[in-house]
Amino acid sequence: MENSEAGNGATRDDLIQRIALMEAMIAEGRRSTARCGWYFILWGVVNLTGIGWQLSRPHFGWVWPICLAAGNVLTLAGYLLQRRSAPAKCQSIQYRGVGAVWGMMGIAMTLYVGTALFEHFTWQLSYLAALLMIVGLAHAISAMILRWRVQGAVAALWWIGGVAIFFCRTATPMLVIMLIEMCLGMVAFGAYAMMLERRDSLGPAGTHAG
Amino acid sequence: MPDDRDGLPELDPVIHGKLRLAVLSLLIGVQEADFVWLREKTGSTDGNLGAQMLKLEEAGYVAMVKRFAGRKPQTLYRMTPAGRKALAKYVAALKRLLGGAL
Repeated sequence: MENSEAGNGATRDDLIQRIALMEAMIAEGRRSTARCGWYFILWGVVNLTGIGWQLSRPHFGWVWPICLAAGNVLTLAGYLLQRRSAPAKCQSIQYRGVGAVWGMMGIAMTLYVGTALFEHFTWQLSYLAALLMIVGLAHAISAMILRWRVQGAVAALWWIGGVAIFFCRTATPMLVIMLIEMCLGMVAFGAYAMMLERRDSLGPAGTHAG
Repeated sequence: MPDDRDGLPELDPVIHGKLRLAVLSLLIGVQEADFVWLREKTGSTDGNLGAQMLKLEEAGYVAMVKRFAGRKPQTLYRMTPAGRKALAKYVAALKRLLGGAL
């Protein structure tokens, strides 16, 4: 076809413009997949608070039940606030998939940690290793869905921590591993995700197709 | 896909409109989208977008649901299977018209 008329009287340039428009809009839809970085920051802070509190009061058995309950309440409150305050949105298929992964991981984790706390299993190596592996698994699935290499690296960090825990002979290296995971795998990753969300929201909205 | 007299495929006129094509391209990657979000992403006006959405609805390419988010009314759109099929046909027609350069 030359640059003459094609179907519907459209020229080749016109058709190429349509393709460019489709590509831009499909990319725009993909970019709108929320990453919800604040959840990671919140849970990083909750866990760091719990670790710090436990170190200062090692025999106080309510540290983790209080911290985890507070974390769940804040997560729910934040989710409801976010839902109410978001004026314009879309729900992408990817977002739904990632939401399902983390939602189910949250339920599994609550059951697992709750039972372990109740039965005082929380300082066993296998308990901590499984905890790190479960979080790493959720990160890995999210990374696959979103095709996001940074999150893939975070998943690897959690899994490396899960493996390394088995080689710890004292409490100090275990604590170091947990602190690294919380600071890098939760807080720093959450801050990075929030930075990307902010950049995307300030991005070139409106391709003026109208 | 009907061909015209030169053997070239006809482009679906409902999809070929710039704004309607932009909306369908946005909707293909999302489960559902708010009217305001679509307006922001396409840079269109309320009136223009509303009119184009009505055309897409009449063609059966999108489905609209009205609901409340808290106290705020929300108009949500999602692409129908017919819309997906029509967009796929449109892309195939574009490919043929551009000589498989895509």
